[in-house]
This record gives sequence, structure tokens and C-alpha cells, in this order.
Amino acid sequence: MSRPRCIALAGFDSKWGPSLHERLLGWESGPRVLRLDSVPPGEAGENEELLPIDWRDPDSDRELIDAFTKNSVDVLVHRGSPGFPTPREEADPEFESGRIRTLLKAAEQSGLRRLVLGSSTLLYGALPDNPNFLTESHPLRGHPHARWMEARIEAEQCVHDFAQEHPETEVTVLRSGWSLGPRTRTPISRFFSQASVPTCLGYDPLLQFIHEEDLLSVYEKAIGESHPGTFNIVARGVLPLSTLLALAGKKRWPLPAVMLERWPGSWPWGKAPDAPSTFYDFLRYLWVAAGEAGWSEFGEPGYTSREAWISFVSAERMNDYRR
Amino acid sequence: MASASPDLSHLEPADLESLRQALEDLRMEIRTFRPEKLPTPPRFEPPDWPALFERLRGYVGHLGMDERSLPDDDFGLDLQFLARLEPMLDFLQTHYWRVRVEGLEQIPLSAPCVFVANRSGLIPYDGLMLAHVLSGVGDAESRVRFLVSDSVANQPFLQGWLARVGAVRACRENAERLLDSGFSIITFPEGDGGASKSFRDRYTLVRFSRDAAVLTALERQVPLVPVGLVGAEETHPLLARVPPPQSLGGLPFLPVTPTFPLFGALGALPLPARWVIRFGQAWSSGELEVEGDDEVALMRVHAEIRERVQALVRAAVKTRGPAWR
Repeated sequence: MSRPRCIALAGFDSKWGPSLHERLLGWESGPRVLRLDSVPPGEAGENEELLPIDWRDPDSDRELIDAFTKNSVDVLVHRGSPGFPTPREEADPEFESGRIRTLLKAAEQSGLRRLVLGSSTLLYGALPDNPNFLTESHPLRGHPHARWMEARIEAEQCVHDFAQEHPETEVTVLRSGWSLGPRTRTPISRFFSQASVPTCLGYDPLLQFIHEEDLLSVYEKAIGESHPGTFNIVARGVLPLSTLLALAGKKRWPLPAVMLERWPGSWPWGKAPDAPSTFYDFLRYLWVAAGEAGWSEFGEPGYTSREAWISFVSAERMNDYRR
Repeated sequence: MASASPDLSHLEPADLESLRQALEDLRMEIRTFRPEKLPTPPRFEPPDWPALFERLRGYVGHLGMDERSLPDDDFGLDLQFLARLEPMLDFLQTHYWRVRVEGLEQIPLSAPCVFVANRSGLIPYDGLMLAHVLSGVGDAESRVRFLVSDSVANQPFLQGWLARVGAVRACRENAERLLDSGFSIITFPEGDGGASKSFRDRYTLVRFSRDAAVLTALERQVPLVPVGLVGAEETHPLLARVPPPQSLGGLPFLPVTPTFPLFGALGALPLPARWVIRFGQAWSSGELEVEGDDEVALMRVHAEIRERVQALVRAAVKTRGPAWR
């Protein structure tokens, strides 16, 4: 398949959407970008069209099919819900299920050539019986009390079913780890930006990241080239949480797990933005993903986990200095 | 007390006059003294608290970083931390447990292998000491990793520490990855059953369950080395097992030993029993003729390995003699 001419982006926030669009603009073919969002994200950029969609509207699929057909959309990229529960509507399981079904219906009707789903390694779940490295074949177990994860697992399952039923459409699922970098502003980066980071007393799990630039490169390749399949997108290397915080010169506030589970954010020093009780299991048990398949498919990432972390911490320090 | 007036009768009138003048000058000087001429005492300046706090925070934040390795290990092993721990482990090996090592020359050095040992005690001192003994055999980078059961691997306060000293959770995926990366593994197929043996049955091995590392070794034609380890049983003689409270989820039991819970956390310190580690003849899994998932053949292999380890334990008990002398 030649380079796509029209790409539809759904579920991209105001930082990620423009960053990816900027990269796509660098292509010689100069593809058009159709941004699908429930809230119009500012003004349309070069070669870009904004299409506000009310995902809860039962007629939204018709609207979407019309848009896909009219614009001859080749590739649909759905970033999925944020890799972290937030008060935003994307975290609502009903919303996510409705959105993925609408998108898949539109993809089916418009004869889409390629579908890229942005998923997360969080969906493997942080569980005490996880091996040190979770491969793509490992079941997605999520968290028993996290409905937002259930919705994302269900969405991924829908996409796998779609791939089986529609072999004419190339389907790529990118399960990325926590992305960090100088520009990233996510609940995760906000959590680690705190001067004092609450941790689970007695636990020091190994963590991994992916640099934002590496993740963007992978998305770019997945959009422009043929890479069907499911891949973990993570950087090389893992670091214990204690080392990460020591590298950043941050204080740890180790609190008993039971306290964090029952009253997250109720402590003045533990006021982690949006951190729900289900989040702290990810700072307790292993959920490191094996990245070999992704590295061989999309190439070596430019940054290791340590480098991604240092890049993020350096940017944080620079921001503090500017303030 | 009133002081007596000095007797000035012996002075000449001229001397008396000059003395009077000097006294008068002194009086005048005292009268005209101005306190502002004194050097001003240094004013109390409050310290720059935010800067002081930042410095302190930076210092505290970097505490412990001296002992962390720069190269990141996939399983969390910290060679720098281990290097700092080395003197302590050497002391335990040489003076405290007086570990006697036999049959080390039989270990194949050319390729990774799987060491199959007997297990005892809830705290995995046996794995740690065995890995330490074997660290002198190969190079430090490819340090032998020891597998620990789920009940130990995820215990608070042990989890991070165990990873840093080279322990890895026992499961098939981890065993495969370690062997594929060229690391040798120490495995304890008795699992939690071995840790919960009563003191009376300390030298009798429990049935070997399907062991992840053994199965992987059979699949990948990696040599198996049986190891008999005696002495770890006496470091924490298990007198009784108590069901753990709900809050200590994951622990298979709460041990009652001569020192625990009597001395609280100090009871976790091991007793100075004499140890013997005896390595057996390595044998290739190719000799065992196991095909695929043949359950009967796998059971036979596990029974065979158990017999070999049991024989080594019996021999080690004889070699060692009394545990406490």
C-alpha cells in the first residue's frame, strides 16, 4: 500500500494530536488529517479538518461514515482512552465501548485500508503473579476493581474481532508503556512531577517507560507502513521506583498500601492528581512488558527507560527554574 | 566589705598631684564615653530556610544512590549493591555459617545450567548463599540468579531487596528468559513445601512439583546440576506453623522458631549453624529422553532429580557432623 492520503485521528489530546500531525506533514505525499473529537480542539492546522463528533449520539456512526467516504480516509488511528483513569468522559466505560463500536462500524462501511489502535501495557494488570516480562501473548487481566480498564480491554477485543472478520483491513495494536518526555503532560507525568511522591511502603517495583519521541515515531511508522499485529511499545531497560525517584532528587512518602487503597489523595503529601486506589498496584507489583517484537518491527527506540526518565526530569527542573 | 584607703603619705606632693591628675583624666574619659563607639555586635540573621530545605532535600533525595548500579539489569540485579554486600556475605560464609563447599569442580562452566537444590526456611538465605558461592566461579556480569516462590517474591520489604541481590520470581517465562540470556539459575522444586518442613523432617525432601526451571532446562537441553544444601534448616529451626493473619496476605504460614516471634524482628536473624553445600554430577537432559508434555516421563524425571538431591543431602549431613560446633 502506498502512503495514505487521508488519515483520521480519534482520541488524540491537544498535545499528541498536533505532534503527530506535525510529523505527518513532513511526508512528501502531504496527507490530509481528519481530527475526530467530542470537543473541537482549537483551530485546524495545515491540511487538517476538525470534525466534532458526539460519540453518545446514536447517529454519529452515519455522520462518521459520510465523512470517511467523502474524504476517502485510508487510515484510522484511535489512541484509545488515556492510560490512566481521569474524571474526563473518556474514562467512562460506556463511552469507550460506544466510541470503539462507532469507529469500527464506520471503518467497516467505508472500506478502510488500515486501522491503528493505541492501547496500553497497563491492561496486562499489575499482579503479584506476573512474570518479569509480559509478552504480547499474555492475557490482558487489568484490575479487578478498575472499570475503565475493563472498557479498554473490551475495546481491544473488539478490534481483534474486527481484524479476524475483515482481513482486507490491516490492523495494528500498539500497547505502549507510560510515555515520558519534555513535552508530555499526562496524569502520570503530573504524578511524578510532585516534589514528594507517595509510594507503597515496602514495595519497590521495576518500571519502564517509552520516550514521547519514540512513541510518535512508532505511530508514524504504523500509519505509513504495513505492520499488522499486536506489539508492546516500550523502551529498553527497567529501573526500580526508588532509583527513579532518587535520580530525580524527589522525596518518597512510603505509605501502607491499605492507606493508599482506601484513602488515595486524602493525605496532604499524597495529593496525587487523579490517582485512584487502583493506580497504586502499578507502584507495587511488576507489569513490565517485553518489547522485543516491537523493536524488531519498528526499530530500536532512541531512548532507554532511564534516558526517557532523565529527559522528563530535566524538563521538569527547567520548568521550575523558569517559574 | 569596706576596703581600706591607701596610705599615700610617703608620696611627694608632685607625685600626688600627677596621680590626682591621672585620676581626673580617667574620670573624664569615663564620663565622656559613648557606647556607639564600641564595635557593633553581629546581628542575628535568619537562615535562608527555602535554600537550606532544598539542599537538604537534594541530599536526602540522593541518599542511597551511591550504591546503585548504572547499568540497568532486566531483573533488577544491582551489582554495586552486591559489591557492598560482599564483605557481609563473605563473613557469613567463612565465619558465621562456616560453609563447606564440595564438588564445585563438577560444575560445567562453558554454558548456563540449572542448579536444583533443596529448600528450607521462609527467608531465602539458602538461595542467596548458593548464588554467592557460585559467584566466584563465573564472571560477575553473568551472576547466577536464584528463583523464589510467589509467597516470598512479593512480600513487602523483601520484594525490592531480593531483586537487587539477584532473586527472580519462579515461573516458566522468567526461567526461559534467564536461560536464553545466558544466565544460570538456582531452583528449588520443593517450593513452599520445602520451607514449611518441620524440624524433625528437615533432611527429608518433599515431593518435587513441576518445576518451571527444570522443565525449561529439559526443553532447551541445558545441564542440570543437583545440589544438596545442609545447615539452612538449622538457621531457623521451624517448631510450629501458625496461619498468617489476613493482613499478611501471600505468606503461606507464620513460622514459630526459637527466636521468632519471641525476639520480634530480631528473630529473623539466622542462627550460626554449620553449613555444607554439596554439588553433584551434572547431567544433560538429553540423557533423560523426555518427549514433549509426556506427564509420566516428566514425573519420572522429577523423581529422579529428587533422588539425586536427597542422596547429596544425606551425604552432606554425614560430612558436616553436628550443626552447632
